[in-house]
Amino acid sequence: MKKFKLFTLNWWILHLLAISFFLYLGHAVRFVRGLTG
Amino acid sequence: MTIRTYTKTILLTALITLSLGGFLLHVRIHPVSQNQANFIPVISGLLSILVIPLLFSFKKTVEYGYVLNGILVIIGTIGMAHFSIVHWPAPATAGSIIFKTMLMDILILWSKFFVGKALFDLEFFGYDPHKAKKGTTYRYPNLGWWVVHLVAISLVYFLGNLLWRHL
Repeated sequence: MKKFKLFTLNWWILHLLAISFFLYLGHAVRFVRGLTG
Repeated sequence: MTIRTYTKTILLTALITLSLGGFLLHVRIHPVSQNQANFIPVISGLLSILVIPLLFSFKKTVEYGYVLNGILVIIGTIGMAHFSIVHWPAPATAGSIIFKTMLMDILILWSKFFVGKALFDLEFFGYDPHKAKKGTTYRYPNLGWWVVHLVAISLVYFLGNLLWRHL
């Protein structure tokens, strides 16, 4: 049970970090039409 | 050398050559000096050439290699799809969508995912030709789990791009 709780906690931490990271990535990446870079 | 070690070496070489090709292609076409977003393929490329093969080399770290490889493929897919949407061909015909977007690059990138999947499955399921494939499709480490993550990560990225604008 203790192991399962630790796994659940780690799962939530990992997913919250991942969501924050991908939200930031979507915010940060801007492509401008006409520029190939 | 056993067949297992030999096949693993071949797959690791495929992973490195694919990643090196993609990395050099990005460095040539999209220099970092032009757009900071070009750091993404540089970092992903370096991780794919140096870190992922190392993670796949040891049984204890194969799962980390598998997940990191898949996540990097998803990031590359989203980035290139985003680039294609911004540079959408006009007129948008079936031919121009296939040949004038980054669809073909995305398809090449997914071969890297499947090489990683083969490395992972080889380590965990081995070569037994009579062994049945088990597990629910949408649960880790099966392909459905990756589809769920591709959709979820795309959605979060899209929301970040749409709602979190520069002031």
